[in-house]
Amino acid sequence: MELLVVNILNFVFATATLALVVLGLAIIFGMLGVMNMAHGEFVMLGAYGALVVQNAGLHFLFAIPFVLLLCIIVGWFIEWSIIRHLYRRPFDTLLATWGLAILLRKGIEAIFGRDYKSIDQTLPGTVQLMGVDYPAYRLVLIGLIALFFLSIFLWYRKSNTGARIKAMVTNPALASAVGIDTRHLARLTFIFGVCTAGLAGVALAPMVRIDPFMGLDYLLSSFFVLVVGGLGSLEGLLTGASVIAGTDVTVSALISKTGGYIAVLTLSILFLWLRPNGLFSSR
Amino acid sequence: MNRRSFIKNALCTAVLSTGAAGLFTGTALGADPIKVGILIPQSGPGGLFGPSCQNAAQLAVDEINAQGGILGRPIAPIFADVGGPPSDATQAALKLWKGQKVEAFIGMHDSAVRGALTNLFKGQVPYIYTAVYEGNECSAGTYVIGETPPQQLKPVIPWIASKKGASKWYLIGNDYNWPRDTNVAAKDYITQSGGSVVGEEYLPFTADNFDSNLARIKSSGADAVLITLVGGASVGFNRAFASFGLSDSVVRLGTLIEENTLAGIGAENSKNLFSASGYFANIDTPDARKFAADYSSRYGADAAALNSLGESCYEGVLFLQALAQNAGSLAIADIEKASEGTRYSGPRGTATMQNRHVSTNIYLAQARGTDFEVVETFTNVDPGSTCN
Repeated sequence: MELLVVNILNFVFATATLALVVLGLAIIFGMLGVMNMAHGEFVMLGAYGALVVQNAGLHFLFAIPFVLLLCIIVGWFIEWSIIRHLYRRPFDTLLATWGLAILLRKGIEAIFGRDYKSIDQTLPGTVQLMGVDYPAYRLVLIGLIALFFLSIFLWYRKSNTGARIKAMVTNPALASAVGIDTRHLARLTFIFGVCTAGLAGVALAPMVRIDPFMGLDYLLSSFFVLVVGGLGSLEGLLTGASVIAGTDVTVSALISKTGGYIAVLTLSILFLWLRPNGLFSSR
Repeated sequence: MNRRSFIKNALCTAVLSTGAAGLFTGTALGADPIKVGILIPQSGPGGLFGPSCQNAAQLAVDEINAQGGILGRPIAPIFADVGGPPSDATQAALKLWKGQKVEAFIGMHDSAVRGALTNLFKGQVPYIYTAVYEGNECSAGTYVIGETPPQQLKPVIPWIASKKGASKWYLIGNDYNWPRDTNVAAKDYITQSGGSVVGEEYLPFTADNFDSNLARIKSSGADAVLITLVGGASVGFNRAFASFGLSDSVVRLGTLIEENTLAGIGAENSKNLFSASGYFANIDTPDARKFAADYSSRYGADAAALNSLGESCYEGVLFLQALAQNAGSLAIADIEKASEGTRYSGPRGTATMQNRHVSTNIYLAQARGTDFEVVETFTNVDPGSTCN
């Protein structure tokens, strides 16, 4: 019983964190068509941002504005210098962002070194929930991520900007013909995607290993989620995240970690083969 | 003097003087230096240890050269990257061996690379392997100075059992031969100490989520966990382990948790964490203190932190010197005859070669924050080698 509760909580937590990590890629790949291979490195930037804040002796929460600022600057510069020339050339974006990923990894390595870093837990300890001890930080994070997704969902539905983005995604020529500044909008969308990836890095930083290569872990699982869930909708993203996390948690709990990994890989291949548009597809 | 003859004269003088200088320095340093290939990971997952290893090896080379070198010849180290797959490592070693005429090799890398290298060298060139490993390497011409499972676990598991009351052990490691072979040995020592194994798991290197493992460890009722995860996997596992509150009641023992890994695990996650090794950066013996002081005065405070794998490269060079002096030459036939019983003194203490391995001191350290504190020293531990 206790094992079941722990595994259910693990599943919820894995889905929430995976969804948060994928969001940035879903925006940049799903809306702008940029196959962003540097997505994991944006997550890494967020984690190193949290490290800088910790080294400066400031409270963990200061990492949020610091990383947002960092991501706005980095995102703006990358969009301006590289990405804007490559819209609608997906293969070129893949190569360019892979190069960018290497550059970011090496840059971080040059500044902070290859060795592991650690971020202190701001909310250490566990909380009793349905008879099991579960880490307090994880529970708070699940709540915050749920709130974050709810507000994004509502904003995208109701706001004018949301409507403009939808117009730009479905028909860019027509959108600019009716007076939407698609170049500006695309830049903002890209920066927003980078910022969510950075925030995901901050949120994960107290729980994971921090080194220049940490981004690679997140890139693969993010693409798996989008393959299963499909591009262009929050419903798809959340479903994809829960399917991938659910498969991993269930098979890992019943058989082994290796089994879980194989199951996720098999599932992604089957989706690519039989249902290349994923479960939810807007196109 | 016209311009042409001036140039001619000037050239002649220059050539003569460089020639003379060459002859002079040549005789002063004892003709030709001994080229030693030092094979370390400068890329890939082990690349983290490359810098400390290179620094430590260079330190040993400089110290030995300052005292006249090996058999009167100075050492000329040539570093090469073996952090990639074994096929690349073989190519790198072959270039040094046949191309640059290297006379001896010192290697700190994984076992897959070692297997490829012993196959390449076929006992025709002295090869010193310095990394902690799973044991039972008996190839001709190969000399192992790294710790083996019998050294790291045979004395340590009974200590943990009696001092920490550990009886139900859970074994978790990455999925390759070092963790699996270590655990085969560990199971014997656990049974002998009156304990039992309640779980055994091997994870892929890519593992970054340990939730299912922790749930299983918790429900198994284990009171001790033997960790043979490597690098980043060990960091991630230990962080998650502590966040679930397991570190209060369950003892952790690792055989490859060195200073870098502990820094990644973090001070608040290192409660009840033990590590067994031949070397820690702060062991309190005259040899170890001198080595740490020399290292920091040579490379400064910002240099790659000292750790057991980096230190092993220092001892590799010391051991090569001891081996060559014992044999009176660097010829493989002489070294093979003389290797048994070769003794040297390094930061770990005094080590003696015994069936291609060395008996050495083993330190059991407990993590205090992000530092290790030695809680027990086991002297002159037998490597349990089965080579003859």
